[in-house]
Amino acid sequence: MTAIEARPATSTKTMPGAPRRRRVHPAIVIVVGAVLVVALTYVLPPFRNYQLATVGAYFCVTAGLTVLTGLNGQLSLGHGALMATGAYTLALSQNKWENLPLSFALAVLVTTAVGAVIGLAAARLRGPYLAGLTLAVAIVVPSVTSTFDETFNSDQGLSVMLNPPPEQYPMEQWQAWLCWAAALIVVLLLALLVRGRFGRDLRAVRDDETAAKLAGINIARTQVLAFVVSAACAGVAGALFAYLAQSVSPGAFPLTLSLFLLMAIVIGGLGSLFGALWGALLLVVLPTLSQSVGEHAGSQRLEGNLALIVFGVVLVVVMLAAPGGLASIPSRISRLIRRNR
Amino acid sequence: MSTEPPLKELALHDISVRFGGLTALDNVSLRVAPGRIVGVIGPNGAGKTTLFNVICGFVQPTSGSLTLDGQPWRPRPHHLSRLGIARTLQGVGQFGGMTVLENVMVGARHRHAESEALAALERCGVARYAAAYPGALPYAIRKRIELARALVAKPRILMLDEPAGGLDSDEIAWLGGLIKETGTTVLLVEHHMDLVMSVCDEILVLDFGKPIALGSPAEISENPKVTEAYLGAAA
Repeated sequence: MTAIEARPATSTKTMPGAPRRRRVHPAIVIVVGAVLVVALTYVLPPFRNYQLATVGAYFCVTAGLTVLTGLNGQLSLGHGALMATGAYTLALSQNKWENLPLSFALAVLVTTAVGAVIGLAAARLRGPYLAGLTLAVAIVVPSVTSTFDETFNSDQGLSVMLNPPPEQYPMEQWQAWLCWAAALIVVLLLALLVRGRFGRDLRAVRDDETAAKLAGINIARTQVLAFVVSAACAGVAGALFAYLAQSVSPGAFPLTLSLFLLMAIVIGGLGSLFGALWGALLLVVLPTLSQSVGEHAGSQRLEGNLALIVFGVVLVVVMLAAPGGLASIPSRISRLIRRNR
Repeated sequence: MSTEPPLKELALHDISVRFGGLTALDNVSLRVAPGRIVGVIGPNGAGKTTLFNVICGFVQPTSGSLTLDGQPWRPRPHHLSRLGIARTLQGVGQFGGMTVLENVMVGARHRHAESEALAALERCGVARYAAAYPGALPYAIRKRIELARALVAKPRILMLDEPAGGLDSDEIAWLGGLIKETGTTVLLVEHHMDLVMSVCDEILVLDFGKPIALGSPAEISENPKVTEAYLGAAA
């Protein structure tokens, strides 16, 4: 990738592991993150808390996608559809049983199963063909809702029956807590998963399949696992979106959502969980920003498309300024400082 | 040819590989006894790498069979490492997005991957590049990293595909020393004659996929068929 550190490390004879920078354990980062988020929810006004919750929901899916695309090299244009799967499962289960934990579990389970099926096919495909397959998924899944309209109620979608949160907490604050609890658990699990051998296997498969095979890695199994893990994350995100909106409709999961997700992780920094956080933030901030710009310009027509343009511009600018994405900026700066010292 | 009794370690029995009309390997038999260093030489296109690819399961033989420890064996690439067979690649297949240390850790299929990987890098004299990314390093260093990744699995059979390619004479001398002292079975495809002659116990010569000679370095260097294959004229 772009971060090249050709500087030889100091002697390694006495201390194995010396050349590796000691990383902070992910659990510590997550705990700090949790404290920050909880503190934030007390300061922010309700609407900002709702947006914060949305960032948390997006964070789940971008984190999963960056593991799949960034670390394992499998391009998915279908994660929006996987989110839809999770969202609809939550809605259907909730309206039937009204048991939120059960509905969440089912949403993740069903999406994981769907992801496994796509992953099995995906493991046989490379590059543009894989993109094509996942693109087809993104297009097909929303149209399923109109084909089986008795269950999914077509374009109208379904509303989600939810119990109100405990009285002492405002709705939006409660939503932010729930979304971020889910997001931080998802990200912690991902971080623990990719820091060890599984993470190395993922990247080895991405970089050179032949060499990876010779190192004893089962390529297809690794790719399917990556897809399954990533789909589970998308399922969590989808369920959170259904919970936040208290409704689901195919219009909430268009093809552009899948494209936005992909752009977000590239801008944030492909393969980096911090990058996924930046991406999730942008997914909430940029559309809001472009909407207000559109309102200022007084053009109703611009509104929908402006977000795409803004995203495109940000993508180009970030790629020019920091090819490793936003997450790579701190290390770039520190390297610049070291060089100039 | 194929009536020999089964042998420990690796044996190829009458292996032929045809790609369409091209016969890449033509009835090749080879027995690789434990601890032996066996060289495979031949002019370009002789089928040396195809032979390696058959043993690694990348290429299915059109006819013939393989045995490992006397048992019939159908190799699969990702099973090799578990069976104690490690192979380096001609084109230095490295993981560009991972540090040198991580590259070698991928080859270590057990716990303590990090310390084992560092030891392997140390052994190949490139431990100081552990934190670097391979793409930025000189070719000779990357060859050593590739070697470290093969050695880290502590293989009982080490397959080296042109390990000396692109190395200078000092580095080749170092490589020769390393091959001799591994103590494992080594299968070596190599163009560098001095290296092959100095380290190998036994040499198989291929020409257009046909085995034309098999013997000790001394026998091979005096074999007129070998000279002819290399120089294109009777010696």
